[in-house]
Amino acid sequence: MPEIILKNVTKMYGKSAAVDHLNLNIPDHSFITLLGPSGCGKTTTLRMIAGLETPTSGEISIGGQVVFSSEQGIDVPPEKRNVGFLFQNYALWPHMTVFENIAFGLENLKWPKDKIQERAALLMKMLKITEYGERYPAELSGGQQQRVAIARTLATGPKTLFMDEPLSNLDAKLRMEMRTELKRLHMETDSTFVYVTHDQLEAMTLSTRICLIKEGLLQQYAPPLTVYNEPANTFVADFIGSPNINLLPVKIQSVAGSKAVLELNGNTLQFSSAQLLTLQPGQAAILGIRPENVILDPNGELTAQIYSTLPSGMETVVRLKLDGMNITEVVFGSVDFKVNEEVHIKVKSDKNLLFADDKEGKVLAQGSIY
Amino acid sequence: MNLTQRLKLFLRKPHNVILVVLFAVLMVLTFLPLISIIMDTFTVHTSEVMRIRGTHAGDFTLYHWRKVLADGENSMSIFYKPLLNTIAISLATCAIGISVGGAFAWLITRTNLKFKALLSALFVIPYIMPAWTLGLAWLNFFRNSLVGGVPGLFTVLTGITTPNWFAYGFFPISVVQGLHYAPFAYILIGGILKNMDANLEEAAQLLHATRWQILQRITLPMVKPAILSTFLLAFSSSMSAFAVPAFLGMPVRYQVLTTQMYRTLQGLNPGYGYLMALILILIGVSIMLINQKVLDNRKAYTTITGKSSNVALFNLRGLKTPLSYCLVVALLCVTIVPLLTFAIESFIVEPGNYSLSNFSTVFWTGEGAVDIANGEPGILRNRSVYNGLYNSVILSLVCAFFAGTIGILAGYAIARKKGTWLSEAVNHLTFFPYLLPSMAMGAIYLSVFAVPHGPIPALYGTFAVLALIGTVKYLPFATKSGINAMLQLGGQIEEAALIMGVGWWKRMTRIIIPIQKTSFLSGYLLPYISCMRELSLFILLISPSTAVLTTMLFQYNEKGWNQYANAINLLIVVVVLLSNYIINKLTGASIDKGIG
Repeated sequence: MPEIILKNVTKMYGKSAAVDHLNLNIPDHSFITLLGPSGCGKTTTLRMIAGLETPTSGEISIGGQVVFSSEQGIDVPPEKRNVGFLFQNYALWPHMTVFENIAFGLENLKWPKDKIQERAALLMKMLKITEYGERYPAELSGGQQQRVAIARTLATGPKTLFMDEPLSNLDAKLRMEMRTELKRLHMETDSTFVYVTHDQLEAMTLSTRICLIKEGLLQQYAPPLTVYNEPANTFVADFIGSPNINLLPVKIQSVAGSKAVLELNGNTLQFSSAQLLTLQPGQAAILGIRPENVILDPNGELTAQIYSTLPSGMETVVRLKLDGMNITEVVFGSVDFKVNEEVHIKVKSDKNLLFADDKEGKVLAQGSIY
Repeated sequence: MNLTQRLKLFLRKPHNVILVVLFAVLMVLTFLPLISIIMDTFTVHTSEVMRIRGTHAGDFTLYHWRKVLADGENSMSIFYKPLLNTIAISLATCAIGISVGGAFAWLITRTNLKFKALLSALFVIPYIMPAWTLGLAWLNFFRNSLVGGVPGLFTVLTGITTPNWFAYGFFPISVVQGLHYAPFAYILIGGILKNMDANLEEAAQLLHATRWQILQRITLPMVKPAILSTFLLAFSSSMSAFAVPAFLGMPVRYQVLTTQMYRTLQGLNPGYGYLMALILILIGVSIMLINQKVLDNRKAYTTITGKSSNVALFNLRGLKTPLSYCLVVALLCVTIVPLLTFAIESFIVEPGNYSLSNFSTVFWTGEGAVDIANGEPGILRNRSVYNGLYNSVILSLVCAFFAGTIGILAGYAIARKKGTWLSEAVNHLTFFPYLLPSMAMGAIYLSVFAVPHGPIPALYGTFAVLALIGTVKYLPFATKSGINAMLQLGGQIEEAALIMGVGWWKRMTRIIIPIQKTSFLSGYLLPYISCMRELSLFILLISPSTAVLTTMLFQYNEKGWNQYANAINLLIVVVVLLSNYIINKLTGASIDKGIG
C-alpha cells in the first residue's frame, strides 16, 4: 500500500531553491495538505511526487518503490507511478465530452468498451454528473467541471490522489460543499490524498496532517490542531488561524522557575508555564495570543479602546487599540459594541505562546497569562 | 421624445457618429462596387464591340457568361482549366504551408532543439518579404533554357538541366507559396502550442497515454482551430495570388484565374475578367462561411486561470545537433540566399554567364546604353525608379495613415456598441475587403472609377484611386487590431474619465491611445508593409506616372529585363525588412506578431 517518502528532496531553479532538502513521510490512507503562501514550493513538491517535475536531488518512493533517486539515477515517468492528479484549472479537454474525458484513461489501459461504460456510469453517478455525459466542458459550470475532473482522475482507480488547489476557482458556497465531498471521497476511496492549498482553513478542516512550507523550507508537519495550538514558530502561528493570532513585542523583566514577568508597552503581565523557563531577563520576545483568548472582562487589568467591530452573527471580531498596539479579539454570540468605547480585557487559556524575537521566531514557551 | 430629439441624442455620442459615417462610406466603397461589377459582366465594353457583332458599347449581353462558363473547349481553356489550376495550387499551398509551419511550431515549442530564437526569427522572414521573392529566387536558380532564355545558377553550377515541371508551373508555385504561408501557420499553431495549458497534456500523461496518443488525441485537436484559420487564410490568399503564378507560370503558359483576369482585363475581353473577379469573390465569401460553420463553439476553450507550467520538452537525443544545424542551413537557403541571388543577378551583364568578367554595375549605376534594355539607365540613376520608390513610400504612408486611423476609430466605435445592429454591420463591412481577392478588387475599382460618378471625377490612373483602394483593402487588419485593443481595454477606463467630465478628444488622445499604443501602431504597420509589397491590387490601376516599385518590377520581368527586375526586387525587400526592423525596434510592433 502506498506510503510516500521524500528524502532530502531539493529542486533548484537556477540558483534559487524552490524546495530545499524536504523530508516528508506521508502514511497510507492519510489526507495531507501542503500549505503555504504562494510561491513557497508546495506545488513543485506535489508535481515532483507525481513525476511531472524532476527534482534536482533527493529520493522519492511511493509504496516502497523508489520512483526517483538522483543517486541511483531512477526516474519513473508519471504514467507509470499510478497516481491521480487533479489540476487547479481542472485541465479538462475541451474537445471531448464529459464521458470521453472520463473514459480516456481507461481506454489507454485497454479496457473493453462495456467495462468502460460501466465504470464511467458509476463515477458519473457517484459525482452526480450523469445527465451531463454528452456535454462539452465549456457547457458546464465551474462546480460541474470540478466534478468531471474528479471523476476523470478517479476512473483508473489510483491509490494516491494529488490535488493542486482544486477548489480555488469555485465560489465560496460551492467550495464549502466540495470540501465536505472531498472528505467523504477520501473515506470512500480509501486512498492517500495529498492536497496543495494556500487556504489555511481548507488545510485545517480537511487534512489529517498539515505540512507547512515557507520559501521551500518545511516549517512544521503535524496534525491540524497541533499546528494551531503548538505552532513551531511565529510564521506558523501567524499563517494558521483566522482572524490572525496577536503577535505582540514584549520584554522579559524577570524569570523565576516556570514563571516570568513580561512588560508589554508599559503594562506588566505575569506568565506562567507548566515547564521550567529558559528565558533571560531583559530578553526581547514575541507574545502570541489567539484572538479567542482575549476576553472582555470588567475586572481586566488592561484598558483598551474599540477600534472597529465586524459582527457576523455567530461571532464578532473586535479590533482593539491598546496603547497604540492593535489587538484582535473574537467574541462569540450575536453581540456588537460601540466604536471608541473603553473596555477592560483579560487573557485566558494556558495556550499563549512566547516566541524568540528573531528571524526564525522559534517558540520558547507556552503558558497562561494573568 | 420625438424622432428628431432621439436622433440628436444618438448623434451626440462620438461612437455613433463614427459608426454612421463608416457605414455610409464603406457601403459606397465596398458594397456598391459589387453591384457595378455584376453589371459589368452583362455589359458590352468598348473593346468588345468588334467581337460581339451588332452591339454597341454599354448594351446588355449574356455573351461573357456564355463564353466563359458554357462554351465547351473555349470555356475549358479560358476558365475551367485556370480554375482547376487555382484550386490545385491553393490546396497544395495549404498542405505545404500547414505541414511545414506546424512541424516547425512543434519543434520549437515541444522539443529541446538548439538555436530556437535564431530559427524562429529566420523562419518568419519569408512571410515579411513579398511572396514573389522566393518565386524570383526560384527562377534565378532553376530556370532552364527549354522554354527559351538562359539557364539559372543551378544548371550553370551542376550542368543538370531542370525539367519544366520542376522549374515552372504547379510545382514551384505551390512550394514557393507554401513556404510563404508556412510562417503564418507557425505563428498561429505555435501561439496555441505555447499558450496551451501544459496541464492538458500532463493530465493525459498521468492517465497512461503515450506520447503518440497525447499528440493525436489532445494536442492536434487543440490546434485544429489554428490549422483551420491557416487553411482559410492560405487558401484564399493563394487563390488570389498573382505575382508568383505570373512569374513562375508564364514561361510555360500555366494559367490561374488571376493571370487570366489580368490578361483579359488588360486585353480585349474585360467582360471575362469581371466575371472571373466575381467568381473569385464568391469563392472567397463561401470559404469564410464554411469556416464559420465548421468551427464548433461547443468545444470552445474553457479559460480557467491556473498556473500553467512548462511542458516537458521532447528529447531529440542524437538528432538534436544535426537537426538544428540542418534547419539553420535550410532557413538561410530560403531567406538570405534568395537575396544574394538578386544581388548577383543584378550585377551580371550577359544573363547566364556567371564568370567574374561578366560582372558589372551597369544595371545599378550605368547611364543607359542603346544596346542594353532600350537605353534604360541603371536603377540608381533612373528617374522612373526614384519616382516608383517615392510613389511606393508615399502611397504606403498614406494608406497606412488612413487605414490605421480609421481602424482605431472603427475599433473604438464597434467595441463600444458591441452587439448592436449598426456595430455588427460596420464590423462586417470593414472585414469585407478581406474577402475580396486583390486582383478582383482592383477590377472592381477599375470598373467603378473609370467613369465619373456625380461629384467624383474619373479616378482611373490617379494616385487617389491607389490610395483609396489601399486604404479600404487594409482596413480589416487595422480594424481588427483596433477592436482587439479596445475590447482588451474594456469600457471602464474610458468611463472613469467620462465621469470626471473629460471630453471625447482628450479621452482618446490622453487615455485610450497611449494605453494601447502598441496595438494601434501595429494597426498602422500592417497596412504600411502590406502596401509596400502589394502588386496585384495595384497592377490594374496604375498609369506610368503612378507606377510603384512592385508594378515596375512586374513590368521589367515581363519585358525580360532580368537584371532590373532583380535589382528592384532587392530594393523592395530591403525597404520592407528595414521598415519592419525599424518600427519593431522603435515600438515593439512587428508584422509577424499581429497578422490574421
